[in-house]
Amino acid sequence: MRLTRCAWIFLVAVTFFSAVIFYPTVSISADTIKIGVAGPRTGSAAATGQAFEEGIALALDYINTEGGLLGKKVEVVFEDTGGVPEKGVAVLEKLVNRDKVAIVVGTSHSSVGIAISEHANRYKIPFIVAESWADVITSKNYKYIFRAGPCNSGVVSEILKWLKSEGFQKATVVAENTDWGLGIKKLTLNGLKTANIEFQTVDTERKSRDHYTELAKIKKYDPEIILAFVYGFGVHYFIAQAREIGLTPKAIIFEGAGPPSLWPQFWENVGNAGNLECFISSMHKSAQPNQVAKDYWNNYVKKFGKDPSDYKSRSIYRVLLIAFDAIKRANSLDGDKLVDALEKSNVTVPSGQVKFGKEKGSVWYHQFQPPMLFIQWQDRKQTVIFPKNVATGELIRK
Amino acid sequence: MDLLFFMYLTNGIVMGIIFALSALGVSLIVGIMNVINFAHGELYILAGYISYILSVKIGIPYYFAIPITILLIFIIGILIEQSLIRPTYGNDMYSLIITFILSIVIQNFALLVFGPFPNKPPNWVLGSTNIFGIFQYGNQRIISCLVAIGIIIIVFLLIKKTWFGKTVRAVSQDRETASIMGIDTSKVNMFSFGFGCALAGAAGVVLSPIFPVTPLAGVEISLLAFIILVIGGMGSLWGCIIGGLVIGIVQSLGAAYISSGYKDIFGFIILILVLSMRPAGLFGRKTL
Repeated sequence: MRLTRCAWIFLVAVTFFSAVIFYPTVSISADTIKIGVAGPRTGSAAATGQAFEEGIALALDYINTEGGLLGKKVEVVFEDTGGVPEKGVAVLEKLVNRDKVAIVVGTSHSSVGIAISEHANRYKIPFIVAESWADVITSKNYKYIFRAGPCNSGVVSEILKWLKSEGFQKATVVAENTDWGLGIKKLTLNGLKTANIEFQTVDTERKSRDHYTELAKIKKYDPEIILAFVYGFGVHYFIAQAREIGLTPKAIIFEGAGPPSLWPQFWENVGNAGNLECFISSMHKSAQPNQVAKDYWNNYVKKFGKDPSDYKSRSIYRVLLIAFDAIKRANSLDGDKLVDALEKSNVTVPSGQVKFGKEKGSVWYHQFQPPMLFIQWQDRKQTVIFPKNVATGELIRK
Repeated sequence: MDLLFFMYLTNGIVMGIIFALSALGVSLIVGIMNVINFAHGELYILAGYISYILSVKIGIPYYFAIPITILLIFIIGILIEQSLIRPTYGNDMYSLIITFILSIVIQNFALLVFGPFPNKPPNWVLGSTNIFGIFQYGNQRIISCLVAIGIIIIVFLLIKKTWFGKTVRAVSQDRETASIMGIDTSKVNMFSFGFGCALAGAAGVVLSPIFPVTPLAGVEISLLAFIILVIGGMGSLWGCIIGGLVIGIVQSLGAAYISSGYKDIFGFIILILVLSMRPAGLFGRKTL
């Protein structure tokens, strides 16, 4: 009995000291400062991973030519989430426990962002979200979670402004059955009701390749605008098939995720069906709000020999600049000190001046919403159509 | 009656025929060799990529690119059989594991070479046709469906009416007796595997103009093929056709009248129903 009790005490003591010793802590003594990036390099949004790689390369060039951080070289560890929440959590575990990163940034896919933020908050590791839009990520008001990218509420508010300014009266909302799709659909429907715009809703399977059934339903309804919240290559099939069944160009498709309309194979996959398609983006050559944005553009062209197209390369660049700034000002890699520095951020990034919201109880806590642009493909050229103050042309309707 | 019902039904039948063609190769290989080829979907995407390279990058007209691609996939299939499958004969589990590993290798190879973006050969025909004044239907789908029907008919004729088909059916029914009767079962296996792979390739070249290929697209193709295989009955070619049509029609009507957000679930519901009522599938086992 006595032996058993001693064994228990020993076991508890070992567990306690192991927890203290092996608790994920990051010290400055390492040769490099590591920053973790989580993002999809495989799966239906693998193109985002490629955009992330470009943004990471530019951010590393920038910071290491500046002399690094705290006198050390900066290293980025980029791990693949595959767009799957469980993989996202495994990525975070690896970044925190094995790579000992100071801060984690990323990702796209709301379901992945939600899963990672739960675990990052538990590990007390600051996580700056770049492109997971679900409101819940910041509306939970977690101390260690920040978002310097679009949130559904912010995007929907802009969409409604655009719909009103163009005078659309009849809309169809198509949403993929994911955290992002269903979340943004709910907010959009509420907004459409308030704006007195007649609407129909159609759900779709994220990985679906055949959309004829959904498109036939939409054609019967005869909307002026189709708000398509479908991310990944599936939206290419949706656009191509919409033309086949004669839904477009009479109805305009607005692609609410953005990058799929900018991916390299877009025109090969959709053909002429892509003409007059509208999409959302946070980047365009004609709308460069500051010198940092211009520098980003020029450096991208110099490094990759082409103009940047997928705005997610700039999204990851943006959150990395924010992370660099926070580490510099915190002069430490301690999670709490980094959170404190992030809350006091006032750094210029290509999307503008970043200041995180501090009011608790809403989606705007720890949130920075970059300005969004509405772009239409007109004869295979991008025309910014909204907001009007940066527009390079008007919406064309048939 | 909702006139769109005819559109949903037509699309279900077209998709069903496409699904059947995608699953036909798996069914053939299972029926003859009792080997489950997990890399079937990856051979499909490989065909899509080869067809893309031949027609887009090299500029060969699609009507030449199609047979060249199918021939290349046939040769690849024979090489796979000789190098990877033949040493595993007698142990179904080994062949299953080895084709599973092969599928991962091909996926990563495609990711490395072609990147994550979808690629497609150009459409054979453009535009769409008005069907009886009820709905518009894509011309490429119509032509792909007709070609798929043609390929399926050729496969049936080959299996039912030719000497090759007779030997294949003999091996499928009783390998030992076929061997005693002088049939070289190793050669039958080799050609059957190559033929099954070529069918995956045929599906890839016929369908990639409609559904561009990505490195991981093969996973869904394989999954769907196995569902059809089980519904129709392992190794049954007729079962494969009926299974494909059932899945295509149920998915289309289910998406139209129940929910388009959970389209994939209908296939699994049918699978559960068939397995609970006819565990051997609609057309039993090994009936070529």
